Amino acid sequence: MIAVIFGVLLLAGACFAFRLWRGPSVVDRVVAVDGLLVVGVAALVVNALRTGRGAFIPVVVVTSLVGFVSTSVVARYIEARSNDPFEPEQPVHTRERRR
Amino acid sequence: MAAEIVALVGAVLILLASVGVVRFDDTLARTHALTKASSLGIVLVLVGAAFHVDETRDSAMLFLAAALQVLTSPVSGHLIGRAVYRSGYIQARVDAVDELAPELDQP
Repeated sequence: MIAVIFGVLLLAGACFAFRLWRGPSVVDRVVAVDGLLVVGVAALVVNALRTGRGAFIPVVVVTSLVGFVSTSVVARYIEARSNDPFEPEQPVHTRERRR
Repeated sequence: MAAEIVALVGAVLILLASVGVVRFDDTLARTHALTKASSLGIVLVLVGAAFHVDETRDSAMLFLAAALQVLTSPVSGHLIGRAVYRSGYIQARVDAVDELAPELDQP
């Protein structure tokens, strides 16, 4: 039973990794990394279910919180980059050289 | 045994969401599919483990993780969707009716 759960999670991680490799936009990659984080948290929890001991359970809480914060920060970054009125597509060094 | 069945259902939900992330052909649809995994799927796995671990402290911490996941998953999904909209990754056939654009045009 536990092996079946780990196999299902491994398949899900493979799908997310495919999207991380393939994803056309940066948002797709963010979605894939978030999914990989969900798979990792689920694997930790299933390991705790297998052994019955909770040594890694604080890691679960911290990892889910770090995943939320990182996703929010990357979303803000993408949004701020797209709203930049000063030529968002241009690299930074050309802007500084012009100044 | 019941805890393992609940955790298996959660893992299958995560697998279905990952299939959706691979198969859907639009960024907003992929975000929508992922939000199902990170809310219901992981919460089912956490609750299934919470009924099985030995100590009460570990069980309480798993329930805390589930509550935090339920609280933070819609917020991060909303932020990703907002970033997708504002950075223009939406294809034209998805937003045939766009009610947000005239609101954003107003100062």
